[in-house]
Amino acid sequence: MSKMTMRIAILILLAGLFTSPAYADDAKVTVENLHAELLAAMRRAPELGYRGRYDLLYPTVNAAFDFETIGRIVTGAAWKTANEAQKAEFKAVFSTLSVATYATNFSGYNGEKFVTLGSEPKRNAIIVKTHLVKTDGEKISLNYMLREHNDMWLIVNVIAQGVSDLSLKRAEYSAVIQSEGFDSLTKRLGEKVKEMNHGS
Amino acid sequence: MLALALSLLVLGGCASTSSTGNGDPHESLNRKFYNFNDTLDKNILEPVAKKYAAVAPDPVRNGITNFFDNVTYLNTIANDVLQGKPGPFFKDTGRFLVNSTIGIGGLFDPATGMGMPQRNEDLGQTFGTWGANEGAYLTLPFMGPSSYRDIGSPVMGILLNPLTYLSAVVTIPVGAVNAVNARANLLDASRIRDQAALDPYTFVREAWRQQREYEIYDGNPPGDGFEEYIEGEGDAAILRVY
Repeated sequence: MSKMTMRIAILILLAGLFTSPAYADDAKVTVENLHAELLAAMRRAPELGYRGRYDLLYPTVNAAFDFETIGRIVTGAAWKTANEAQKAEFKAVFSTLSVATYATNFSGYNGEKFVTLGSEPKRNAIIVKTHLVKTDGEKISLNYMLREHNDMWLIVNVIAQGVSDLSLKRAEYSAVIQSEGFDSLTKRLGEKVKEMNHGS
Repeated sequence: MLALALSLLVLGGCASTSSTGNGDPHESLNRKFYNFNDTLDKNILEPVAKKYAAVAPDPVRNGITNFFDNVTYLNTIANDVLQGKPGPFFKDTGRFLVNSTIGIGGLFDPATGMGMPQRNEDLGQTFGTWGANEGAYLTLPFMGPSSYRDIGSPVMGILLNPLTYLSAVVTIPVGAVNAVNARANLLDASRIRDQAALDPYTFVREAWRQQREYEIYDGNPPGDGFEEYIEGEGDAAILRVY
């Protein structure tokens, strides 16, 4: 068949060789659950409004992402010196920012589809490769990296068209931490959430 | 020329970031140019692009986008040759011929449906495939993100754009249309930047860098494109996967 089909078949085979299929399935389920809820939010966007989409996505996003690991990575060295209260506040704000970002950007439905291409193990992580396919056939590559946390596979990074969300945030956040400090970073992320709330 | 520069400014504005030891020795000058470009964009180009996007129907916008994608496609084809990629070269040549003829001068894009999708190559990517590193990050006035490796890209792009050789009476208004249309296509991208970025300069720099790497390797960076950064004390911080 097509090269793509072949490649996907090979990927799936390789995934089977190197990791327990159950793990790869669990990782895929996490991503596919998130995608299903995003689609629901998009389909019902007008009736839900921003707030409705936010409330719909909040539990899903919090169940799908490992905000502990994400927090540690995006804040770099500052995570080690931050106290428990600072870390907890950062995680809370960061998770609301993630939900708000989805609620703002997935604000309408024009026949988009999510397609899971397959998953492959990477050391202690699993990469789930997907496409967001637009109505005109344009494909946006969305790759998810998941790690195991308390027997669940949770998302730690999203790579959209080759651009890694974590490295982008880490670069930006470390600049803010360096010039203004950890608490200021948390505060400014909170302000971002509020701005989105006023958006629509 | 100016319009072309403006369109590149926009592209730059929306592309994307780094930090300490960040390969950005010219950061202080870059930031000045970034602010200059951003002021120009926020005050002139973005408002015009928003009006245009509100008024122009999608088929018109798509036609204009297709036309400029096609007329600049010789640059991709030439870089296929420089990168020694015969497969892409034949497909891209086919794409250019099909869209220029059946596609009525590039206004339509029948080639994609015929298995010849749009690709993007330029001189900076060619140097990248030859092994050149970024060198140092640059923000150019009017044009946005670039680097030592990429600074020749717009020059080659302009030289291989047939519109360059028409009279200024034609190129200036046509270039202006291109700038506005291209900026309109990036409204979503710039909205996400404005929404997400705490420090837009850093955000743009890092996103641009990652996007360039992705493009240099045609979406398949080496070693499966996987990079792992090991933090101290055994914390594995996984930052990049393609």
